[in-house]
Amino acid sequence: MRLIPIPKEEYEAYRLNLMFDCYKWDPQFLDHNTIAKYALAITEEEHARLKVLTEKLDEETRAAEVMLNGDRKLARPLALPKKLSKELQRMGNYDPEKHIRLMRYDFHPIGDGAWAVSEVNSDVPGGFAEASLMPEEAKGRLCGKHLRYINFGEIFIGAIADKVPEGGRIMLVHCTSYSDDRQVMQFLGDQLKEKGFQVIYGAADHVWFREHTAYSILDGNEGRLDAIIRFTPLEWLTEIRPKKWDGYFDTTTVSCNHPIAIYAQTKRFPLVWEELEKRGACLDTWRELLPDTLEVKDAKGKEGYIYKPACGRVGENISIKEACWEGEYEKIMRDVKRHPKKYLAQKRFYSTPLAGENGEQYHVCLGSYTVEGKHAGYYARISESQRIDSNSADIPVLIERSGGNDR
Amino acid sequence: MTDKEIYQIWAPYGKKWTDWVRPVPFVGIREHSGKYHFSNLTVPVPALEERETEGTAVIVDLPGVESVLEGIALARIGFRPVPVFNGTMEQPGARATVDNQAVGVGLVWGATLLSDMEIEEEAPPAFLMDCNRLNRFKMEDSLFDNSWDIYPQDIPSAEYLIKNGIDRIVIIANRLSKDLAKILYGFQKKGIRICITEGYEKPRIIKIRTPIKKD
Repeated sequence: MRLIPIPKEEYEAYRLNLMFDCYKWDPQFLDHNTIAKYALAITEEEHARLKVLTEKLDEETRAAEVMLNGDRKLARPLALPKKLSKELQRMGNYDPEKHIRLMRYDFHPIGDGAWAVSEVNSDVPGGFAEASLMPEEAKGRLCGKHLRYINFGEIFIGAIADKVPEGGRIMLVHCTSYSDDRQVMQFLGDQLKEKGFQVIYGAADHVWFREHTAYSILDGNEGRLDAIIRFTPLEWLTEIRPKKWDGYFDTTTVSCNHPIAIYAQTKRFPLVWEELEKRGACLDTWRELLPDTLEVKDAKGKEGYIYKPACGRVGENISIKEACWEGEYEKIMRDVKRHPKKYLAQKRFYSTPLAGENGEQYHVCLGSYTVEGKHAGYYARISESQRIDSNSADIPVLIERSGGNDR
Repeated sequence: MTDKEIYQIWAPYGKKWTDWVRPVPFVGIREHSGKYHFSNLTVPVPALEERETEGTAVIVDLPGVESVLEGIALARIGFRPVPVFNGTMEQPGARATVDNQAVGVGLVWGATLLSDMEIEEEAPPAFLMDCNRLNRFKMEDSLFDNSWDIYPQDIPSAEYLIKNGIDRIVIIANRLSKDLAKILYGFQKKGIRICITEGYEKPRIIKIRTPIKKD
């Protein structure tokens, strides 16, 4: 695995094309450029290994979901927010065959070809355009005969086309006030339109349900929906008034993701493994890759553990002290003390940084997608800090055939 | 001019402050703003005087196109206009809470003027935003809510501003918006003076009180 610099004379055009042709509408975050000046090249061997690990993790995760859904008492240690917990019983009619399952597993290199996994983005993984168009844009600038990539978008659209009737009406559910959400949905919407689907951009409260079927109530776009592709996190739905969102939990309209995703979305997911294993579940790959995870109280006095919020996203509020901004670490620790069930303790791992062209060191988070249980491409970010969060930069992932260094 | 060319005029690569120019209103700008016709776009007299530029960053928080025009006026007295409009387009056929398309007319029109101007390397920034962004009242559940907020990550940090010689922010607006108050409260704590003007009087210093945590 290595970083390949985007040629300096090409970077301006590269950045411009990413913004205008590749849906990268957030090129700057505070004082940080979010478009890396590198591409990430992984070897065919690394890719093969990651593909196997990702698919194994996915198989274990989906089996665990079904088990938890079959006996919801097992889910108690997850300490899901009450409003969500109450709705879990509606998922009794969940049939994986009817819906589209999309997940992204975050891998970190820890040296000697080994990997650690920090989490699965089980509910609403993003980065669609970065995993589909960005590698093509980079590849063209890297004399890349020896480089290839996996187009996530093609695979995802294919999975949608398998489950949604031709020309069907699909609502892309997202927070319509956020351009960062819209860029993800716009990429998908444009691709779906090309395939002949009718696309509606709407918010979670624009979907109402009748007899388990989803309907759009969006002004001028009313009517039955054939699919819901949701980018609004489940825990945000609970804030919606009037309460119509409970229909998401038992709808038979094709959903991606169905709320079944909540079981693995919470970072407290590992806290139910022991019970699941007693009932025959296999979580060996998870155990191999995820650092030891404990209840906050059980980590007291133990060295080398960090705290993560159960419902955390994009790496925020993780107590890696040297990566926190001024006062943030103390703030997190106060919150951990006050709400221990909203957090978990996890053994800290140290990622092995990659070298930039001037000796800088970058930590990598390599997100590996699955769609319907099959590996579906990569989305990566790099950061000079150990914590990969919103200050990180997006980087395209390319797969390099042996001998690539010799060009 | 293409969308990209219009963007490049507002955000010439490598120039100070231009990394913060949001591409959002520029993507498909001609398509989105093509239906609007403003017959009397004129650049106003700037709300600040030329001698007031030193150590000063400006936030223009006026309605859509007005904000762009003020930005051009400020460019004439030595500021670098930095559009940070971030509102999305509504689903076709749906009524929306905010008109995020009209601002495109100003940006296209302003690009022609801006391309003839020489803006100095060290020009201080004038961040342009639309005060209508916070219109999120929905008469009906079915409306498309494309209101938007300014968040701390949308503009440079206080530390960055200070490091680059900025010790005063002048807001040109009828009133201080709630989202801006949250950000600027933090800036004020770090020693940046916050001033406001409606454009008809000299900027006056304001003291922003602790923002209420929950909306």
